[in-house]
Amino acid sequence: MMMDASAKTDPILSLNSVEVLYDQVILAIRGISLEVPRGGMVALLGSNGAGKSTTLKAISGLLKPERGKVSRGQITFDGQVIGENPPQARVSMGICHVIEGRRVFEHLTPDENLEAAAPPSMTRAQLNAEKERIYEYFPRLAERKSAESGYLSGGEQQMLAIGRGLMTQPRLLMLDEPSLGLAPFLVGEIFGIIQRINREQGLSVLLVEQNALAALDVVSHGYLIENGRIVMHDTAETMKANSDIQEFYLGGGEGRNFHDIKHYRRRKRWLS
Amino acid sequence: MDFWYLAELTVNGALTGLLYALFAMGLVLIYKSSSVPNLAQGALTMVGAYAVLEMGRLLGAPLWLAIPLAAVAMFFLGLGIERVALRPLAGRPIIMILMMTLGLDIFLRGTTMAIFGGSSRPMGLGVTYDPLFVGPMLISRIHLIGALVSLAVFVVIVFFFRTRTGVRLRAISDDYMASWSVGISVERGVGLSWALASVSAVAASVIWGEIQGVDQSLSLLLLKGLTVAVLGGLDSVLGAVVAGIILGILESVGSNFLDPLVGGGSRDLIVAAVLVLTVLLRPHGLFGRHDIERI
Repeated sequence: MMMDASAKTDPILSLNSVEVLYDQVILAIRGISLEVPRGGMVALLGSNGAGKSTTLKAISGLLKPERGKVSRGQITFDGQVIGENPPQARVSMGICHVIEGRRVFEHLTPDENLEAAAPPSMTRAQLNAEKERIYEYFPRLAERKSAESGYLSGGEQQMLAIGRGLMTQPRLLMLDEPSLGLAPFLVGEIFGIIQRINREQGLSVLLVEQNALAALDVVSHGYLIENGRIVMHDTAETMKANSDIQEFYLGGGEGRNFHDIKHYRRRKRWLS
Repeated sequence: MDFWYLAELTVNGALTGLLYALFAMGLVLIYKSSSVPNLAQGALTMVGAYAVLEMGRLLGAPLWLAIPLAAVAMFFLGLGIERVALRPLAGRPIIMILMMTLGLDIFLRGTTMAIFGGSSRPMGLGVTYDPLFVGPMLISRIHLIGALVSLAVFVVIVFFFRTRTGVRLRAISDDYMASWSVGISVERGVGLSWALASVSAVAASVIWGEIQGVDQSLSLLLLKGLTVAVLGGLDSVLGAVVAGIILGILESVGSNFLDPLVGGGSRDLIVAAVLVLTVLLRPHGLFGRHDIERI
């Protein structure tokens, strides 16, 4: 199953049997290993509650406010083991986590949202140049940069959330369900922009999605997570062609109706 | 009723209102950066007044030096309070944090009572009680000075919230988790807001200490300050100033009409009525932010 071709050089991020406990008892992920190649784009797919967000939080350090803890395993970023560093230390290492649900600073303007995320060490001139760069990627934001962010549309807020993440000067961008609640054409637009940034800036991307179809179109590799375990890892093409993936996540397959799928699903287990 | 008498009541009411605002801006500072209503702001103001007096007594510093020294001391006291009492509560329900600030209030009042006793001491600014004559109106000098200080503090705070640090503090108050996710140190930001609120408490304490003397009753300013902050909208600096002026005028003019009817004490009734009506009719205050709900 592990047939990774692109990870021969040292990856920018690797997780080695990582286990996460919430409240010291609830096992949310049970031994996850995955790699993001330098400059690569990788998707982490799975259904609700599979452990996708928890995995990202373990990497970005956002577990702590939710009383979660990496209880076993090791996370390595750019050759350095991340221990118990607080989130701001990981952001300055170059890890940026665009959290689920957009969560823009609603009472700030988009301009101020970007400003708030800029590292304090950045000069005014650098800050303005960075803002311009982000407005160039997201021209829709530039048009509304002085509006109150809470009143932007869903798509604009997602763009702002990503732009805000880019302000932190990341080398690894982790996106948690950027397609959530957005119209399909917007999902395409946003994924296209992410792909462009990945290509132009060499930014490594870890994309967490329920929308497997859209995600597999832009990444080179995918991981499938279920019940806190990685159950499949392959190239995007192979995963798209896999009949079980089609059945569960792409809505294709042999044309069973929803009722049948639910029963089939109960019988079928990725790992037993 | 004579016009000039009414004008005098209005002007003095507005000046007193600006002094309430001076106090209330400390509440807004903390609320605007961490969404915590600080019930200990009154006690902090009282401690600020004692700090000024003690700087003078222990170090022999003249008042113009004792005030900035007290401000520095209070800055670190604010940082310390956040570090010891509030940081462990980060992410807990707001009611816990509220109870903690109430506990702080009681603790600070008890401590100053134990150390300094309960007798009132003069602040000693030396502002004369002779009123200023503006036409036929009598204006209180200390209230006028305090109002100017209040406006100066207002300008500084408004400017501060536009700096990059200020923008980060506003971001923190919007969303802790999102702030962490982009590398903002939420803990340090909240600490800074407590430190700045403690410094602003020194400004309020000098003026109010001069007006009513320095003792535990300074902490009761919280009730009027909270009313002003709620009426203005807890997160609006401009709101605190406008609401302060409104409450000051209502109190001064209203009590002049009501006191003869009810036999005195109507000032507090007016304050209570304003607080109750604000919460009932306009919970986010005159200038406070609404929770944004998109349709």
